[in-house]
Amino acid sequence: MSNIGFTAYLKRDLLLSYRRLGEAASPLMFFLLVSILIPLGVSPDPERLAELAPGMMWVMALLATLLSTEGLFATDHQDGSLEQMLIAPQLLALPVLGKVTAHWLVTGLPLTMVSPLIGLMLSLPPVAMVPMMASLAVGTACLSLIGAVGAALTVSLRKGGLLLSILVIPLYIPVIIFGSAAVQTAVDGFNWLGPLAILAAMLCAAIALCPLAIAGALRLVSSN
Amino acid sequence: MKFQFDSFQQMIEMAGHGPYVWTAVLVSLLVMGWLLVRPLQLHRANLKSIARQLRREQRRRGAGEEKQ
Amino acid sequence: MASNRDWTWFYRLGSPRWFYETTGRWLPWLWTLTLLLLTTGLVWGLGYAPQDAKQGNSFRIIYLHVPVSFLALAGYYLMAIAGAIGLIWKMKLSYMVMKSAAPIGAALTFLALFTGAVWGKPTWGTYWVWDARITSMLILLFLYLGVLALQYAFHSQESGNKASAILALVGTVNIPIIYKSVDWWYTLHQPATIKLTSAPSMHIDMFQPLLMMIIALYCFYALALILFTRAEILQRERKAAWVCELALQADKDSAGEAEE
Repeated sequence: MSNIGFTAYLKRDLLLSYRRLGEAASPLMFFLLVSILIPLGVSPDPERLAELAPGMMWVMALLATLLSTEGLFATDHQDGSLEQMLIAPQLLALPVLGKVTAHWLVTGLPLTMVSPLIGLMLSLPPVAMVPMMASLAVGTACLSLIGAVGAALTVSLRKGGLLLSILVIPLYIPVIIFGSAAVQTAVDGFNWLGPLAILAAMLCAAIALCPLAIAGALRLVSSN
Repeated sequence: MKFQFDSFQQMIEMAGHGPYVWTAVLVSLLVMGWLLVRPLQLHRANLKSIARQLRREQRRRGAGEEKQ
Repeated sequence: MASNRDWTWFYRLGSPRWFYETTGRWLPWLWTLTLLLLTTGLVWGLGYAPQDAKQGNSFRIIYLHVPVSFLALAGYYLMAIAGAIGLIWKMKLSYMVMKSAAPIGAALTFLALFTGAVWGKPTWGTYWVWDARITSMLILLFLYLGVLALQYAFHSQESGNKASAILALVGTVNIPIIYKSVDWWYTLHQPATIKLTSAPSMHIDMFQPLLMMIIALYCFYALALILFTRAEILQRERKAAWVCELALQADKDSAGEAEE
């Protein structure tokens, strides 16, 4: 089975994001800005920050991803290319995976790259840096996939953004539990590969199942 | 199986836990009651609105026939 | 041969009119049964069951909290199954049942949380504690609210139904994952002082009224679901001849009453 649909849409979405670099960079900006709020809002004390850092960084990463998920199918829906995707002869799951991968490359991956810097600012213990990056890399991929399901369900609604959050956050909860647990376990000195393995398992399940749900949601919504 | 309290007053008080138990009971009964009353309201309202619409259509049809 | 078997009974089940008329006959019995079981169970549990050695009388809230929690969770699965049947067989009635199950389930989940909180205060000293079960219940509430919100967000009834059905199914797959995750998370962070009371070794005198209340709540759920679905049927089938007849008849009856 050719993966033309996958690579074609991956390249297309990457190109589109490159042309709108400002928009593409806004989750990253959000992540950076919000990490300033925490010391200001809570306390700049390194010890307290170190306690909060694993969880807070994960929460911020989750919110940043959530923000950017809204636009995943919206522009395509508006200019009609979503319809093209639907009537194309290939399996709908392929372009969908291509788009979601592009989304992750543009949001999740930069978040992962920037996390050591944020970790430094929030006094994250050095031992937790690698676990943080690993859990973010795998976890944000899950978040992109799950968020895409919500985005597909709400694509034709006007005030879809808030509804998207309500729909998707309960589904995000297992990811954040194991994501931040991976980091926290490392901080506490235990083996952090366990939670990470569970995250990876979630990612495998998401890659297998989410495209089906997304495709189903896109078809029904576009036949509105 | 015997009644656990010596008097009705004691049952209300429940050895100090009264407010908690009775609040839980009351709120539960209220919510459950609403879950039964609301659909009946909707049911009646639906029947009324359908009847109203039918009467309006009949009148309109009757008026249309008169004009002809 | 299986292919010769008559499946009309299945498709007849999908007829809103059949549902309306059949449940109409059952209703009086269901009302009586539900009210009877509820009153008996409550009076039994509140007045006649022995109190708990450690928790005293606040333990009686269990007679509401546990049945309501069961139904809140079971109701979600029912909603999801109704949605799945609607998606697969395109049965309108199934979608109507799904739509009716959502507010009932959400209300029961709220009750589970509320009774749990009220029970928590005298038992553990605090209204809210982030333990595995309570947190999972809270997430369940949000899953319900999501389905409700999606249902009403669409202009087209058809799209709203399908979207809610998909969301309900996605939620169903997630519920065990969420529950296990939260459970695991809680064991990581379990504060030493607070331990959730389950009541594994319950005395038979305490268990019997609980069983009755659980059965009573199942009957209650069936009753509420049927009532909501009937109202929904009228709403959606308003163009159908049998509905129009029903409405005109009801109109005549109420007009007759008004004259008296």
